[in-house]
Amino acid sequence: MKDRDTILKRVRDGLAETPERTPYPEYDPACAVMRQPHEFSSLWELFAWRMKSVNGVPLHGWNALGDFLRERALKFGYCDPEYTEAIAAVCGSLDITERFDRNDLDRYEFGITAAAGAIAETGTIVLTDAATRPRLAALAPWIHIAILQEDDIWPDSPTALKRLGDDPSVIWVTGPSKTADVEGILIEGVHGPGVQVCCVV
Amino acid sequence: MKSTKAYPTRQPVDRYASDLSPSVQESVYNASKLKTEARVDALQRDFADPDANRRLAGAIKQHTLDHLDTYLEQAESSLRENGAAVHWASDAESANQIILGIMQRNDCRRMVKSKSMVSEETELVPFLEKNGMEAVETDLGEYIVQIDHDHPSHIVTPIIHKNRQEIARSFEREGLGAYDDDPTVITRRARDYLRSKYLEADVGLTGANFVSAESGRIVLVTNEGNARFSMAAPRIHIALVGIEKLVPKDRDLSLFLSLLARSATAQCLTVYTQFIGGPRHRTQRDGPEKMHVVFLDNRRTEVLSGDCRKILRCIRCGACMNVCPVYRQASGHAYRGVYPGPVGAVLSPLLKGKEFPELADLPKASSLCGACNEVCPVDIPIPELLLRLRNRAKHEHVSLAARGTPSMGIWARAASSPGAWKTALSAGRLLNVVPHGFLNLSSPARAWQSSRKLPPFRGGAFRKWMRERNPPKNGVPSPDRKSEPDS
Amino acid sequence: MGTCLCDAFFDDAARATVEVLEYLGCTVHFPEAQTCCAQPAFNAGDWAAARRVIRHTVGVFDGELPIVIPSGSCAHMVYHGYDLALEGEADADAAPRFARRTWELCDYIVNGLEVREWPGTYRKKIAFHRSCHTRGTRTAESALALLGSIDGLELCTFGEQEQCCGFGGTFSVAFPNISAKMGRIKLEHMRDGDPDAIAGSDMACLLHLGGILDREGVALPRVHIAQILRDALKSEGLLS
Ligand code: SF4
Repeated sequence: MKDRDTILKRVRDGLAETPERTPYPEYDPACAVMRQPHEFSSLWELFAWRMKSVNGVPLHGWNALGDFLRERALKFGYCDPEYTEAIAAVCGSLDITERFDRNDLDRYEFGITAAAGAIAETGTIVLTDAATRPRLAALAPWIHIAILQEDDIWPDSPTALKRLGDDPSVIWVTGPSKTADVEGILIEGVHGPGVQVCCVV
Repeated sequence: MKSTKAYPTRQPVDRYASDLSPSVQESVYNASKLKTEARVDALQRDFADPDANRRLAGAIKQHTLDHLDTYLEQAESSLRENGAAVHWASDAESANQIILGIMQRNDCRRMVKSKSMVSEETELVPFLEKNGMEAVETDLGEYIVQIDHDHPSHIVTPIIHKNRQEIARSFEREGLGAYDDDPTVITRRARDYLRSKYLEADVGLTGANFVSAESGRIVLVTNEGNARFSMAAPRIHIALVGIEKLVPKDRDLSLFLSLLARSATAQCLTVYTQFIGGPRHRTQRDGPEKMHVVFLDNRRTEVLSGDCRKILRCIRCGACMNVCPVYRQASGHAYRGVYPGPVGAVLSPLLKGKEFPELADLPKASSLCGACNEVCPVDIPIPELLLRLRNRAKHEHVSLAARGTPSMGIWARAASSPGAWKTALSAGRLLNVVPHGFLNLSSPARAWQSSRKLPPFRGGAFRKWMRERNPPKNGVPSPDRKSEPDS
Repeated sequence: MGTCLCDAFFDDAARATVEVLEYLGCTVHFPEAQTCCAQPAFNAGDWAAARRVIRHTVGVFDGELPIVIPSGSCAHMVYHGYDLALEGEADADAAPRFARRTWELCDYIVNGLEVREWPGTYRKKIAFHRSCHTRGTRTAESALALLGSIDGLELCTFGEQEQCCGFGGTFSVAFPNISAKMGRIKLEHMRDGDPDAIAGSDMACLLHLGGILDREGVALPRVHIAQILRDALKSEGLLS
């Protein structure tokens, strides 16, 4: 507690001689919303266009997801129990498990989890602790597939901030994990997924 | 050192720049230039008036600093409500001790770290290692810095000074596989190796890009996903946070996130933006059971009370170094501190406290071109702050800062006395007192003349013309001003 | 205000400034007691020395007439430096009063006198360096608007226009290597379009860039914008 009081006292003393304290500016957070290059017919259209622009893979409907899984010749992965039935229906050849074993991270080719929302403006998927389980299944496999209800696409980031709620871990995901640390060259899939999919159902 | 001998008046940063290998200089220059251009393109493409957003963000940050006592207390109670333990550290030593204490009390031996400039400030990793703990950097660039026992040379792209061949050799040396300088291979190898480290670790340490005082949410951005991993595998999360990282409300975050991502890497949003509001959800299997937040002062309060308070607005985007012509030539290590470039030229000497003279030359390492202010997402008037620190160095008679700067005393005497000035002009003796001091044939003059030539001296010619001519008769009194001058 | 650099080296730029203003109908006064705007001492961190010179300058230009300076950096010094140097001093309010009367030449022509089109011809290809002290102000735009309106004048576009020439006053002395390198990069860009001359609205930048060209034995002319404006008038007989 000693340091706490010292620091707060130093702050107060430091501020004491501020002749004019800057007021909190009145503003509309919409000023941070970017303009789009053209009109989009729906939030889904905008979201999909934006997600593609950050190298994400937007899909519409279970069948599209089935095609994606088959095209990639995927065999084994994790799936949130909520969706196993739907996945089995569109891609019967898959070996899916509802258990994610953290000691065997690299066995899972993909992880299918829920998304709590999405931001159309930036092509961003919103993951939460309550909806997206477990944390590692959405992070460790090379391919992460987020399942999203179409109604949960929000227009922009100020709207998404209003929906933070009381979840202890909200994560906005905008494209696959990436780095440009080595000579500025873009490489995808550093610690997180190299392929980021969002399937709207 | 040959170069120093030739021009003893040269500043250390200038020497660093000329001793830098051409290949390093080229990669730093090219990378910074590309990032500067991408940043401008992104902002102009996405916003009608990006400058208005910079100024607004600057005002919000300034407001926060001007009311920091209130916001710190508010943040503390929101964080507690979220279930986080809040600690306060007045200096680096006490921050490191707090973190070590948390690890010892919870029986922890291993830490994974995501990027945090503040932990560089406190030299946390060497401290923990000395105390028998393992601490692994997980940001790819920082990891490479760590295995090379090097220092980051940029706050966003820490290994901007290294090429892939060097990195490949380091990986080979560390036993991460046979030499291969393909960046994809390098990245995959780091991915594989660090996975095991995440899973073994008991503690994940992060910094914070922002803390909302209103909700106590810690906001963290990374592109690689290492901060996510550091908070998915280990059971304890520690966030080490400078006290200036606060913003008043959640609603302010969209503005700051949009500016940070564009200014740092020309993205609309960084890939992973995390809003951390406490330990994991009761239904979650992964993630920390406990969350600790350590607020660090480390002379920030001293800066707050001085005339350079505005530097504390900084959100560490790195745009000022990317655009800075001096940084582009000298690279980051020339700044001899955690924060390079224009922000470092202000912040590093200030954070030195009484040892200010050691880095008092940094504020001189600028042509005052103002490019840093023009790009700064929180509109910090960096040139003004550099000037204030130059004035302080002069006051404190810091010889390092004075090196290469001709004394202004004689010049000021001439320039405030018309008689002396005119005599100097007409007698051509202005050569000895003229500003910029490069005319006297001393070492500074030689330094200047080594790569430039002065034009012929024509002192007094204009005055003579002005006196002797017959001004045209069509002269009318000065026309009315139609507007105010531009400042 | 004539500026110390024009006083010492670039008398023709100062002459051209006077001629251009007179063409526009102004009566130009040149207080003989003037010296320098105080920028060298201010930028060197010697604010005590700077204050002496500032007070001298403020005294010399006493009155109500507008003060026109053919240099962006000197105007910038008056706008921002005087304020800082006099902060907390008894005569601090002299700074804003002085600043309100002070104009950079192109700003004065375009925004003060509302002259946006320049008559005359100037048949040359010019690479124009917008000097750093006009950053974020309308001065650079004003200069470009004037140049763009002159018949025959071709403006080169070049890369990294926002970058500094590397002068920076004492910076160029204490950091000779970085400063010269910056200048060479700037010149490389400016010469991309093969201009007939390089131009600017601040003789300090041109002193530095010209110094590098001379050292390298390159004969490329350097002109102040006032000289271009005057020569354009002369070529059409609008000025004798
Ligand atoms: S000073 Fe401004 S531009 Fe530089 S890192 Fe900080 S926020 Fe970015």
